[in-house]
Amino acid sequence: MAEGSVLTRRRRARAAAGANAEGAPRPALLLGSVAVIATCGLLYELIAGTLASYLLGDSVTQFSTVIGVYLFSMGVGSWLSRYLNGQLLRWFIRLEILVGLVGGASAPLLFGLFAHVSSFRVLLYGLVGLLGALVGLEIPLLLRILQGRLAFKELVARVFTFDYVGSLLAAVIFPLVLVPRLGLVRTALLFGALNVVVAGVSLLSFEETRPYRRRYLAAIVVALLALGVGVVGAERIQRYAEGEVFQDTVIYALSTPYQRLVLTGNHRGELRLFLNGNLQFSSADEYRYHEALVHPAMQDRPHARQILVLGGGDGLAVRELLKYPQVAHIRLIDLDPAMTRLFRSNQLLRELNHNSLHSPKVEIHNADAYAWLRQDTARYDVVLVDFPDPGNYSIGKLYSTAFYQTLRQRLRPGGLVVVQATSPYVARHAYWCVVHTLAASGFSPVPYHAYVPSFGEWGYVLAQAQPGSWRPHGSPLPAGLRYVTPQVIGLMRSFPPDMAEVPTEVNQLNNQALVRYFEEEWGPYGQ
Amino acid sequence: MLLPRRQFITQASAGVAGTLLAGLVGSVPGCTPAQSAVQGKLRGAGHALGHRLRTPGGLPAPAHTQAVDILIIGGGVSGLAARRALHQLAPGRTTLLLEMEADTGGNAAAGHNARTAYPWGAHYLPLPDARDTELLAFLQETGILTGYGPTGLPIYDETALCHDPAERLLLHGHWQAGLLPEAGVPAADRAEIARFLAEIERLRRATGPDGRDLFRLPLDWSVADADARQLDTESMADWLARHGYHSEYLRWYLDYSYRDDFGVPAAQVSAWAGLHYFAARKGRAHNAPPDAVLTWPQGNHYLAEALRRQGDGRVQANTLVFSIKEINNGQVEVLAFDNATQQTTRLLARQVVLATPWHVTKHLLAAPVTLPPLAPLHAPWLVANLTVAGYPGGPGQPLSWDNVRYGSPALGYIDAEHQALRGFEGDEPRSLTFYWALPTNPLDAVAARRHALASNYADWRTLVLTELDLMHPGLAAQVQAAELWVWGHGMVAPTPGYVWGAARQQAQQPLLGGRVHLAHTDLSGISVFEEAFHQGLRAARAVLARPANS
Repeated sequence: MAEGSVLTRRRRARAAAGANAEGAPRPALLLGSVAVIATCGLLYELIAGTLASYLLGDSVTQFSTVIGVYLFSMGVGSWLSRYLNGQLLRWFIRLEILVGLVGGASAPLLFGLFAHVSSFRVLLYGLVGLLGALVGLEIPLLLRILQGRLAFKELVARVFTFDYVGSLLAAVIFPLVLVPRLGLVRTALLFGALNVVVAGVSLLSFEETRPYRRRYLAAIVVALLALGVGVVGAERIQRYAEGEVFQDTVIYALSTPYQRLVLTGNHRGELRLFLNGNLQFSSADEYRYHEALVHPAMQDRPHARQILVLGGGDGLAVRELLKYPQVAHIRLIDLDPAMTRLFRSNQLLRELNHNSLHSPKVEIHNADAYAWLRQDTARYDVVLVDFPDPGNYSIGKLYSTAFYQTLRQRLRPGGLVVVQATSPYVARHAYWCVVHTLAASGFSPVPYHAYVPSFGEWGYVLAQAQPGSWRPHGSPLPAGLRYVTPQVIGLMRSFPPDMAEVPTEVNQLNNQALVRYFEEEWGPYGQ
Repeated sequence: MLLPRRQFITQASAGVAGTLLAGLVGSVPGCTPAQSAVQGKLRGAGHALGHRLRTPGGLPAPAHTQAVDILIIGGGVSGLAARRALHQLAPGRTTLLLEMEADTGGNAAAGHNARTAYPWGAHYLPLPDARDTELLAFLQETGILTGYGPTGLPIYDETALCHDPAERLLLHGHWQAGLLPEAGVPAADRAEIARFLAEIERLRRATGPDGRDLFRLPLDWSVADADARQLDTESMADWLARHGYHSEYLRWYLDYSYRDDFGVPAAQVSAWAGLHYFAARKGRAHNAPPDAVLTWPQGNHYLAEALRRQGDGRVQANTLVFSIKEINNGQVEVLAFDNATQQTTRLLARQVVLATPWHVTKHLLAAPVTLPPLAPLHAPWLVANLTVAGYPGGPGQPLSWDNVRYGSPALGYIDAEHQALRGFEGDEPRSLTFYWALPTNPLDAVAARRHALASNYADWRTLVLTELDLMHPGLAAQVQAAELWVWGHGMVAPTPGYVWGAARQQAQQPLLGGRVHLAHTDLSGISVFEEAFHQGLRAARAVLARPANS
């Protein structure tokens, strides 16, 4: 890594200030240790940066902040080295054991605790800071140990040569060998063990360690055993961390004034969007949801030119609408500018929505749909209503007779509205309440449902401004659909007994019946 | 309205204010939150101009004279309703309306902040009795009533019906739905509440020998027989005791209800009015339950503005009328001081609708006119609009339109943005309007009013924020602004003997040779929109009963 070597140089220059006079034997051995500990030191930094990017997303920020904190902490460690006096070699051995344990445990700890701590960043930067401070102690300490043995110019030249050679080695083998072959957890544990081995070699090579050799040897063996157990169990740690806690990796996370957006990806190439923790779509099966939302209405509207989409800032419904050449203009109203910005800019998402939000036919407004609709004067052939589920009294207003009556005034003669209407299987009363509310608002509703594996059975209502104006088999469907066919449109309109119509109240602003049904029926699912 | 029901003394008397506040705050536990940073103004507009009525000699002599067909003095709901009715019944006649305040609306005043309009006074209308065709016609013309259902019941504009959730009560540390105490209320109390409600239901359906309802709105349509007059002489508290209603929960609920509409508790309300409060509510709708109410962010100012739009003729604000006399040629001479031009105009009117509160009417119609001995009791009121950064949540039911604390000396607050038509509620600051009918004493209402008016901004702010902290611990620290309004004369209380006493009947008679017609809820005894509307209508009809050129 280019930035690694540049930064390495700077931190070593700072560390050189801590040199002190004391005799120490066998410089060759100690210089060899320099190369090893330099490799380890850079690797811990790379592991922490990679893990932070992996878990938190936004790799530029994560690498910058992790490297910054790490280097700063090394400076702190260098400065603190002046307080280490007396038996410097003994200090060095202790230090190597400690670095080995902390560095080796860093990756498993960060992985394992990510889901369980309230502030992951505190843990991350705390660990990086501790590790940096320990690594920062190493070189000043070694310089002081070696000072009596070598002329100052030789000392500095050799120590830094080995330091940089070690760094280069780390930077090359980390991406090419270690991550693909060993994974982050095993790499950290193995290099932690190397630090401990340095401690062990130092302990056994120097006569002066004899008084405390037995005790330290025991500590080294225990440390190596612990790290070894970690290496053996690394597979399980990784699987626990990735496979069970983080099914997917967070690619993007943002808190806006309106909601929290979290986009995740996994090794199957599946993207998922969560809004306030609720799954919005999975790229694996969103086509089912969006084809079912768009095509039953559009296949019977060969002259539909003006389309309004309320909600749906992901551009996925728009993608389906753009399959109809007669559509001249699509107006998309989504509350959250961050949402439409994300789906206009992120490459993965642009691939998913076929760049639909950049189509010249599409006009985007970031506004509250109800407020927008009340001042709108345009008229539309088809309106798609893709709001969040009616989980609170505010969103409940967007499913009321008052809202639907306002919406109805915006339709051209023969216009159609399609409303996503939660699950008729889980929330049967809520679903039929939407159907009955549309009927009470002067629409002639056609209920239908589709199976979307990520969601389960999902309900829609196609609402006709004039009864009998919609036919299930209008004009041909666009080519290339993966779910909707004329036969499927027929099947979607059939409701088995466990989702069949039930009597419900009509949802009005002054009774919010729908929110109550929704809470009762989704409540047991912990929504 | 023309004159200061909100006379308001600016110089604070710390001793008097301290006594009042100690009495109010002392009745509740808790401490006073730090609030010195909270800013706002204390209002009670019009007092400077209104006070000049007391020294009419200090006002300039008329600079010019102007002839007017029908002059309406006072732009509250009664005056505006009279003006609208005159325009509809006699479009050829011309009217001039004079208002002392900068805006019409009277008690139905409203304010505005960066986010929303909010009420300064009356803020809702219960579903009207479907037989009140005149009120229904007004609502239809305004677009609030959109049509009639298959069974003939009115269909109301859903956006004007109070959205769900409408009411919640903080009782035993938990917010329950609705204001009638239920959660954790002992069975004996619940039985008593049920017995009271059953009695109300019986009275709601009860009719007199002539088939008229025992209780109706406007109240002059009720049966006024000897029984009614008898009921009007005792207090509601006495009636409750006599009928074995002792439940603390029920008594609190009734006191709360009466303080909310009349400004005084059951002990100061006549039993007839206390029963009428519940039993005269006969509203029904095709698309709402009978207990629904109509409301708007700006409260009843919405209705006042509609009345004004549906009338015709000039409205002149900032104008103080200080003299009304009958002159020789059968006309009425009115002296009006325009605060904008600082000039007095002599108006010669054929007919006058005097839609002012009684304490102003008394000043204007001095000797030789003999006024009936009407003595309405008006409780002073505090209305506070708070801008609060945090969400007023708490355990139980979420933020509702009306939010009340059981046992509180205040009346709770309404969420001004409850009726907002949007699908997203962000973390933006909220506008909460607190209502507080201040204690008054019928034997010395003036002293109570003086106490209220002597308090300064910081005193009131302490009072309101302490109450807020009791409802939502910690929220007072998140108040960004507190705008306050003290009404010296809030609204009339139907004290025993007021409604069916002789004085009120006499006050409805025209004066000054039948050319001056009074119209005000002080002539009803209960200050609700329906009464004011019909007061205006009655006065307009009386005006037109007289030939135009007589």
